[in-house]
Amino acid sequence: MATSPNYGWLEPDNTDLVKNGALSIRTLGNAIDTTMATMTPKSTYTAKGSIAAATAASTPANLAVGNNGETLVADSSTSTGLSYQANWAAAKNKIINGDYRINQRGFSSVTANDTYTFDRWRTLSGGTVTYAFTPQTFTPGTAPVAGYEGSTFLQCAISAATSSYIGISQRIEDVRTFANQSIVVSFWAKAASGTPSVDVVVNQDFGSGGSSSVNTIGTKQAISTSWTRYSFKITVPSISGKTIGTSSFTNVYLLFSDAIIGSGVGDQTGTFQIWGFQAETGTVATAFQTATGTLQGELAACQRYYWRQTVSTNQPLAPTGGCATAAIADSALYFPVTMRLNPSSIEVSNVGFYNWGNGSIYESGTITSAAATLYAINLRYTHGSNVFTTGQSGALIGRAASSYIGINAEL
Amino acid sequence: MVKYIDLTDPLTQEVTTYAIIENAEGYESMTKVEYDQRQAEQSTPIVIDETKTK
Repeated sequence: MATSPNYGWLEPDNTDLVKNGALSIRTLGNAIDTTMATMTPKSTYTAKGSIAAATAASTPANLAVGNNGETLVADSSTSTGLSYQANWAAAKNKIINGDYRINQRGFSSVTANDTYTFDRWRTLSGGTVTYAFTPQTFTPGTAPVAGYEGSTFLQCAISAATSSYIGISQRIEDVRTFANQSIVVSFWAKAASGTPSVDVVVNQDFGSGGSSSVNTIGTKQAISTSWTRYSFKITVPSISGKTIGTSSFTNVYLLFSDAIIGSGVGDQTGTFQIWGFQAETGTVATAFQTATGTLQGELAACQRYYWRQTVSTNQPLAPTGGCATAAIADSALYFPVTMRLNPSSIEVSNVGFYNWGNGSIYESGTITSAAATLYAINLRYTHGSNVFTTGQSGALIGRAASSYIGINAEL
Repeated sequence: MVKYIDLTDPLTQEVTTYAIIENAEGYESMTKVEYDQRQAEQSTPIVIDETKTK
């Protein structure tokens, strides 16, 4: 018998007898019916941009087109396993230094509340709790993401906790960030033992003179003893009707122990490790990226809030200075990036003034900020005695192996 | 330990009180006004006027 050219349906030959026509038509019809049953019906496509996606094996369904600019991502929480997301290729992560590469302060251990660890990451604790945050190094090849070789991660070891809370937080500039949006906070985590829980809280702080802060608490999740990525969906409330003061921020906390804030995690002890922190709009955690995508970009992003120069003995820190009076020497220092606001404080360790005019180095004075803008600072070295000759030039220099000047404009 | 020092601006003769907060590595320096403001903020507990669970 003849067959159709595409699907090979059986057809009568031209010379077949008419008396066999009914059987031939039925055979052909059944073959067509069988083929059609395997195809997606045209009615699946309901509108422009519709595509077919399966809700189960051999079960096609319409997936309506997303909004302009959105991309399609795998999303196991939907019936089709797919959803359209506003997934910008760059700058989707509002967390700076999410891979813990930048450590300008050179932190090695932090055991106190409201203290910076890696750049932009500060501790958050209250009640009776004993803990230590430390930087840890990945053995090459052991970072949890294929194709992204992490360098360092953050560890929190809690040895005692009673009616307390302890976590790590990042203050994202401006409370407008994420307001009235669904967001996903994601990170890789690992416990040294057991299956302790962690939780994410978004705290909207309306700044000095602004409305009272608002906490939105995620649903706690237990973590395991191997590196696993966890994501928390949080709907950040609208700021409609609120008053925004100065230096407002959206604060993202990760709680390792909490019997105070209301996450339900409870007082916990143990060792927690985290890496690859991301906060983005949408409902599904997308591939991890740092906020800027480059190491230099991350450093510059951190330096908007804090900048530290660390030098060795006799190396310059603020190389353009001069003696204003017999007891005062001023030195100018230009920032590598524009600061968030005029720096509120400076940190000084082992810094002296080298008076080029008389060839002497002075170490006993005090350094303060005589004037500061977003771009530069006038560092004033005040000596206790009249030792300078007005008008002579000089510079602030390091006087030990790790001397530094830190410029602080943190939130 | 916190020390306070009064410094006179050589140009304006304006006197500003600075707080010098000593630590293990060196010291932190800021005006007394800023130091008092920071101390007040750090001693203020987290204010929660509306807590939501998602």
